[in-house]
Amino acid sequence: MNPTVAILISALATFITRLLPYYATWLSRLPRFFAKSLRLLPIAALGPLIFPGVLLDYPDRWWAGLGGIAVASLFAWRKNGMIIPILLSIVTTWAILAL
Amino acid sequence: MERPLTFTQGCRDGLPIFIGYFPTAIAFGLVCRDLGLRSWQAILFSVSNFAGSGQFLAASLMGSGALLAELFISVLLINMRYLFMGAELSRKLDANLAAWQRPLIAFGTTDEVFSVAVLNPSPLPGRYLFALEGTSFLGWVSGTATGVLIGTILPLRLQLAVGVTLYALFTVLLTQQVRQKGVMALAIAAFSAAIHTILTGILSLPVGWSFVISMLSAAFIGALIIDEETIG
Repeated sequence: MNPTVAILISALATFITRLLPYYATWLSRLPRFFAKSLRLLPIAALGPLIFPGVLLDYPDRWWAGLGGIAVASLFAWRKNGMIIPILLSIVTTWAILAL
Repeated sequence: MERPLTFTQGCRDGLPIFIGYFPTAIAFGLVCRDLGLRSWQAILFSVSNFAGSGQFLAASLMGSGALLAELFISVLLINMRYLFMGAELSRKLDANLAAWQRPLIAFGTTDEVFSVAVLNPSPLPGRYLFALEGTSFLGWVSGTATGVLIGTILPLRLQLAVGVTLYALFTVLLTQQVRQKGVMALAIAAFSAAIHTILTGILSLPVGWSFVISMLSAAFIGALIIDEETIG
């Protein structure tokens, strides 16, 4: 797909969800269960965004990606911040691939 | 304590969000480089979307060659929570806002902007919200540009390993969720990852649709078994 088109499609999908409640007031009266599910969607999204892709991207050494995210998770658990865990995971994966 | 909701106050309240967004946006810039996007496309991404998880999701689906329809629905779903934030925020807005100001305020309603804005007593004046959103927006866009720049000067030998960036980023986000909300967050993510693996690996479903199905089913099942306080 054309990346520019994809970026704009993504922008449109985002803007719709943000703009709609200003005009469709019934949205604030949705059932509680529905609202609860919607709040869990971002967490539910994270699983398939990691697996199985992280294993499949390194077909010869599937543990290379796995090692990378393990290190990222370990450091993210101890401290806030994203850059250090991400850089460390790149270094880890690079080291495994270079072995 | 009552404080006047001026433009300056909006900038002041937006500063912590700026600082929070900047490093995350650097990570996004790196991801865009890794995807092979041009610098201007990466910046267009952040300027036009201005959404954390939605952008990362879109980038991931672009990388896996999903269809535009799959991308559209997935991004729509992950951003569904904005419906509720917008509904709440729109009730607190100054009634005298011009018609063109509402869409602009809607565009800048991120999770963080929302949680800062709703803490104030209503009515919320436009100038305060514009300053709050504008400051956050600058953090997001300038961080993306910085990330693209860093991606450009990374040594070539690291290029293949950089493919792990997006996964590392999602892992960090997940780890933060588990820290805040407990092991149930991990269970939901693991469940939806398992469904996605089965749907794409065994049943050979297209990545995008499989993603939508696994995300929805895990969220519904999660909502059935988790109580309100845990979700927060």
